[in-house]
Amino acid sequence: MAGNPVGLYYLLGVLTLVIAAYGVALLLTSISERRSAGRDVEISHVAMGVSMAGMFVPAWAFGPSVMWELVFVALLAWFVVRSIQSVQIWGLHVPHTAIHAVMSFAMLLMYWFPAGGSLRGSMSMSMGMAMATGSARLDPGLGFATALLLFGSAIFTVASPNRGATYFGTHCGGSGPSLISGDEPDAGAAVGNQGGFSAAMARPALLDASHVLMAVAMGVLLVLMI
Amino acid sequence: MTIADEAGSRAAWQRMRATAPPRRERDLQQTLRLLLATVWLMDAALQLQAFMFTPGSNGFSGMLRASAAGNPSWIAHTITWNASLNAHQPVLTNGIFSSVQFLIAFGIAWRPTCRAALALSVAWSLLVWWFGEGLGGVFTGGATPLGGGPGAVLYYALLAVVLWPATTAGNASPFVAARSLGVPTARILWASVWGLLAVLTVVGHGRAPGALLDLVQDTHAGEPGWLVGLDRWSQPVLLHDGTAVAVLFALLCVVVGACVYFAPALTQAVLVVAFVVFALIWVTIQNLGGVLAGGATDPNSGLLVLLFIVAYWPLPAAFESGSAPSAVMTDGLEI
Repeated sequence: MAGNPVGLYYLLGVLTLVIAAYGVALLLTSISERRSAGRDVEISHVAMGVSMAGMFVPAWAFGPSVMWELVFVALLAWFVVRSIQSVQIWGLHVPHTAIHAVMSFAMLLMYWFPAGGSLRGSMSMSMGMAMATGSARLDPGLGFATALLLFGSAIFTVASPNRGATYFGTHCGGSGPSLISGDEPDAGAAVGNQGGFSAAMARPALLDASHVLMAVAMGVLLVLMI
Repeated sequence: MTIADEAGSRAAWQRMRATAPPRRERDLQQTLRLLLATVWLMDAALQLQAFMFTPGSNGFSGMLRASAAGNPSWIAHTITWNASLNAHQPVLTNGIFSSVQFLIAFGIAWRPTCRAALALSVAWSLLVWWFGEGLGGVFTGGATPLGGGPGAVLYYALLAVVLWPATTAGNASPFVAARSLGVPTARILWASVWGLLAVLTVVGHGRAPGALLDLVQDTHAGEPGWLVGLDRWSQPVLLHDGTAVAVLFALLCVVVGACVYFAPALTQAVLVVAFVVFALIWVTIQNLGGVLAGGATDPNSGLLVLLFIVAYWPLPAAFESGSAPSAVMTDGLEI
C-alpha cells in the first residue's frame, strides 16, 4: 500500500502546532488579565496541539506516551466534572465542556491504540516508538463515531450565532456578575473588553476557528486510524 | 469558579433571562442541513485515507475503473479516463476531491455561502455519480436500494434540494421538506423517489436469491468482529429468502411513498417503520458503507435516507390543519 503523501502529515502537524501556539498566547493574556474563563480549554488545546503534532510528524514528538496519557486522563476527568456541574447549575442541556471531554477521550484513544489501519502503513516506525503503549487496533466503529461527533461539533460551531461559545459556553463566562450588562451576554465580552492585543487574540470568531480546526484535525487523524 | 460562584451567576443570569427577548426557535431545516454538512465533512476526511493514494487495481483508481463495468461503452470510456487520471496523479486528484468536499461542508454550515455550497454539492454529486459510481449500476441491473442503488451520492443532491434554505416560516409547514418545495411538489418528489426504489428493488439481479447475500459478503473483509457477527446473523435470511426480502422491501417502498398522503399520525407510524428498516439495512447489509473496513469514500445511502425520512416527519402544523394542509406563504424569517 502506497500510503498518504508525507506532505499531508506535515500540513496537519503545522496546523495543530499553530493551534497550540494560539492557545499559549491566550493563556498568557488570561494570566496577565487574571481571567479564568476558558483557561481550561486553552490548556487542553495546547496539550492536544503539541501531542498531535508529534503524532503527525514523529520527529516532533517528545515525552513518554505515559505522560501524555496522564495529561489527557486528567483533562477528561476535568471536563466531565465541569459538564456535570454545568448540568447541575443550569439544568438539562449540552454543556460546552462536553465536546472538550470528547476531544480528551479521542486523544486517549490515539495513545491507547496507536497507528492503526492505513495510518500504520503510511508513517515511519519512529512514530510507533514515540506513541505505543500497546498494539491493539482501535475499534473502527468507536473511531468512526468519535470522528463523526468531532466533525459535527466543527460544523455546528461554524453555523452557531453564539461566537466563542466553545470556550465560554452561552451562560457562564467565569467572571460572574461582570458579564451582566442588561443585554444578551456576549460569550467573549469578559475577554474582549480589555482592548488591544488581548481583544485581537481573543476575538470570539478566532476562538471558534481554533476549536473547529482542532476538531477537524482530530477527526481526520481518527479516520486515518480506521 | 466554584459552584457557589456559578450559583450566584445563575441567579443573575435568571433575572436577566426574564427580561431578555425570546430565544429563536430551533430551525429543524437548518439542523438537518448541518447534519448533511457533517456527512460531507466525513466524506472529505475519508478521501484522505491511504487507500485513496494506492495505485493499481487494489487502490482507489482500481475501484473507479471497476465501476465502469457493464455500462455502455461511451460511458465506460469516460469512467476509465477518470480512473486513469487518478492513477497517474493520485495526490492532485484526491487533494481536489477532498478539498471540494471540505468546501461544500463548511460552505453549507456558513450562512452567507449556504446556497452556493448546496448548488455545488448538487453538481459535484452528479459528477461523482457518473465518474465515481458508474451511474450507480442502473445500466448493469445492480442498482438495488438495499446495496445503495441507484447511487448513494444521488441522495446528497436530493437532500440539497429538499433542504434548500427557505423563506417561509418554519412553523407554518407540515414537514421540513415542504418549506423549500411547497407541499404538493415535496409530496410528488417523495412518492417518485420511493416508487423508483421499489422498481429498482425488483428489476435486474437485485431480486435474485443470492444477490443480497453477495452484498453482505462483499463487505466482510476488514470489518470489525461485531459487524461480521451481525452479517453472519443476517446471512441465512438473505441466502434463503433473498427474493422474498426484495419483494417485501419493494412493497414497503410503495407504502412509504404513499404515506405522505395519509393522515399525519399514520404517516408518522409508516415513517418510523421506514426509519427502523433503513437503519437496519445501513448497518446489517450496507455495513455502514464499508467505512469501518477502510477504503470507503462515503457511508453509503442508508444514513442519507434516514435524513430524508426525517425531512418528511409531520410537524405540529400538519396536525393543526388536518391531514393535508397547504404550505402557508408568509413573510418568512431570513435564515
